[in-house]
Amino acid sequence: MFALVVRRFFQLLFLLLGISFLVFSSMYIAPGDPAAIIAGPTAAESDIEAIRDNLGLNEPFLAQYGRYLSNAVQGDLGYSYQTKQPVWEAIMIRFPNTLKLAIASMIVAVIIGIIAGLVSALRQNSLWDVSATTFALAGISIPNFWLGAVLILVFAVNLEWLPVGGLSSPWYTLDGVKELILPAITLGTASAAMIARMARSSMLEVIRADYVRTARAKGVKEGSVIWIHTLKNAMIPIITVIGLNFGFLLGGTIITEKVFAINGVGRLMIDAIAARDFPMVQGSVLLVAALFVIVNLAVDIIYTYIDPRISYD
Amino acid sequence: MKKLNKNWLVLFVLGFVVMLLAACGGSTIPEEAVTEASEEGVEAAEDVDQEIVYAATSDAVGLSPIMTNDSVSSNAISQIYETLFVRNPETMEIEPKLAESYETPDDKTWVIHLKEGITFQDGTPFNAEAVKYTFDKLRDPATAAPRASLLEPVESVNVIDENTVEIKTKYPYGPMLAALSHTNASIVSPTADQAQDLMQQPVGTGPFQFVEWTQGESLVLEDNPDYWGGAPELDKVTFKVVPEISTAISMLQTGEVDFIDGLPSDQIDRIRSLDNVEVLEKPGTPVYYLNFNFSKEMNQDPEFRKAVAAAINRDAFVENLNGLGVRSDSVIGPKVFGYTEEADNGGQAYDPELAKQLVEENGYGDQTIKMLVANRDNYMQMAEIAQAQLAEAGFDVAIETMEWGTFLDATAAGEYDLTFLGWSNVTGDGSELLYPNFHSDNIGASNRSQYSNPEFDELVNASRVTVDQDARKQALIEANQLLLDETATVVMNHGVVTAATADDVQGLKLDPNGQWFLENVTRE
Repeated sequence: MFALVVRRFFQLLFLLLGISFLVFSSMYIAPGDPAAIIAGPTAAESDIEAIRDNLGLNEPFLAQYGRYLSNAVQGDLGYSYQTKQPVWEAIMIRFPNTLKLAIASMIVAVIIGIIAGLVSALRQNSLWDVSATTFALAGISIPNFWLGAVLILVFAVNLEWLPVGGLSSPWYTLDGVKELILPAITLGTASAAMIARMARSSMLEVIRADYVRTARAKGVKEGSVIWIHTLKNAMIPIITVIGLNFGFLLGGTIITEKVFAINGVGRLMIDAIAARDFPMVQGSVLLVAALFVIVNLAVDIIYTYIDPRISYD
Repeated sequence: MKKLNKNWLVLFVLGFVVMLLAACGGSTIPEEAVTEASEEGVEAAEDVDQEIVYAATSDAVGLSPIMTNDSVSSNAISQIYETLFVRNPETMEIEPKLAESYETPDDKTWVIHLKEGITFQDGTPFNAEAVKYTFDKLRDPATAAPRASLLEPVESVNVIDENTVEIKTKYPYGPMLAALSHTNASIVSPTADQAQDLMQQPVGTGPFQFVEWTQGESLVLEDNPDYWGGAPELDKVTFKVVPEISTAISMLQTGEVDFIDGLPSDQIDRIRSLDNVEVLEKPGTPVYYLNFNFSKEMNQDPEFRKAVAAAINRDAFVENLNGLGVRSDSVIGPKVFGYTEEADNGGQAYDPELAKQLVEENGYGDQTIKMLVANRDNYMQMAEIAQAQLAEAGFDVAIETMEWGTFLDATAAGEYDLTFLGWSNVTGDGSELLYPNFHSDNIGASNRSQYSNPEFDELVNASRVTVDQDARKQALIEANQLLLDETATVVMNHGVVTAATADDVQGLKLDPNGQWFLENVTRE
């Protein structure tokens, strides 16, 4: 296990190096001048040139990248071109919101997804099954911006049960929980649908396995058959889907964050790209990539607990 | 199996009940709104919390007038800081603010007398030193200020005495007062600027002072009790970032925010229909126009430009804006210095028959015209309508959309045939519109049409290098008419600036350039 973690850590370093080069060069090649955007359309050429000089944008590509890298290695991700704020600080203001939202959405997704998947597997081809698969299809197909807007209109504007948007209260307070409900449902629905599909097919496979039949033949209680013999063994692909989804959610969710006015990493990233704020884009992409790798590592470790036959040593 | 089934059902119902309980746990109507409603008609206004929440579609870039040039920052900055002069939104005349009076002993010297006894929010006295410090910092190339060019004509700023400052210019500079009334020329506290980063911790002389800012989330200001103009009624002002305008409208409806601005024309009917919401609309300084790229041969043909102008029905377009546009041919709009009513119909009128005839005679339909459009504001709608009308006249127009940053680059480099541009005209001065956009000095930068006409340049120069305001106006009227005679551009509409507030918000001052001031706002 320890070897796995160490190996992954070194892989992560190389991965981050590669990503930083890719991001840096693609931002460099992409059209759009950060200085012109900072100056705005009303600025004169002299204003733009002064800003370009000030940001070091007139230096050659490798010099810029080299300087970025040497600072980054020392833990300095630089300053935002636009706001002059340290990149790390800007990310850390947003990340807790993204994390909250990702966790809340995963809770919604896992509860709904696994229940729907289980029910439809155990009652294959019943009305339950049809409703659950229909839900899964709808969940995957409905676009977030539409679902979010409808939830806001129904639950916030008309019923006035929940706030329209924002995440300003701590998550452990009632207000904090209420703020999370609509965005978590909006975001969790698609993941729930994916988990439900995976849970259903995986359960159907395991439930027909010989050892399940043997367990039933031996008179094991149905509850134990489902929970211990079937679900646990069906969990591997489900955990994979959960891990992937959680990794994606940690990368920030641009549309949901926008619709619900949540100050998250996704919005930070998209705004930074629009403003050609290179250091900010770079910093947030590196964070997201690192998180993705860490979540995958966690998933790999969880595998070994679910299925002791899996070993990385 | 039966038992399991029941367990599932119980679990499911339990989960549902928990969610429902969480959802119904309490009402989300802000407490103050409830108090307000229950006390309505019983108590006087003084019991109402004097607080306001404004929803901004993006966060402020920063809070230093020297280092920013975006509208959200400007709106925050103009509550915290003040300028030497302001343009009166009613009369459109420039009036002193932090200044007391001014004189121009010769046409390259401005002597400005400052109001006495004003202090910055950190206690630093406001005086000639502070003015010199601010302007020198804005002008200093090392500062790399986005709007350093505002004071480009300034040669030196000198302190005459505690309350008198003298500005020497390199050449006679007509729009000086307009430049000094620009938000980016707001006066900053020199002590604060040396001690801290004004982008994060601003200090000015304005009616509101900084409390805290969570970037991307919210900015909080409170009243400045020592404000020289008398402490404002509002105790607290919050700028809340709500990127999606329809979410902001929902928040206005539920009372989560009290005030939004820049209302889009496609949502204006929804906003007008809300019971608890007051909509403010007034003709403003922004102008939106179709831009020809003069570096392209086809656009150099005056008949071609005439055909394009004749093909586009601007009246129909403005009608589509649901009242959020003013129709006029004039490039210098009704709320901008240099405007004259005669220019309203001074350009090529809509004449589809003429357009068809010109296209047919000259074979304009044989080539595809590239119409480059930025994917923001109303530009897409503008482009689609224009494309349809141009096609009717026989033109072959292909729309290409671009994201803003790329668009700025591509248009500055002249990589298009036709495009749509807008200009917010913060200073409300025609020189500041015609010079950057159409003067040959700015080709390759803000003159995206690459229009170059020595006669026009001369008129614009004349409007800039004289301090005689009547002479300036006359030069601008002539320059404007020249653009219309040449069909150098086709004005689609002039902007209507808008805001929507909760109906108990009184006294909001909305400027024709879209900026607003909360100094006199009360909640009743």
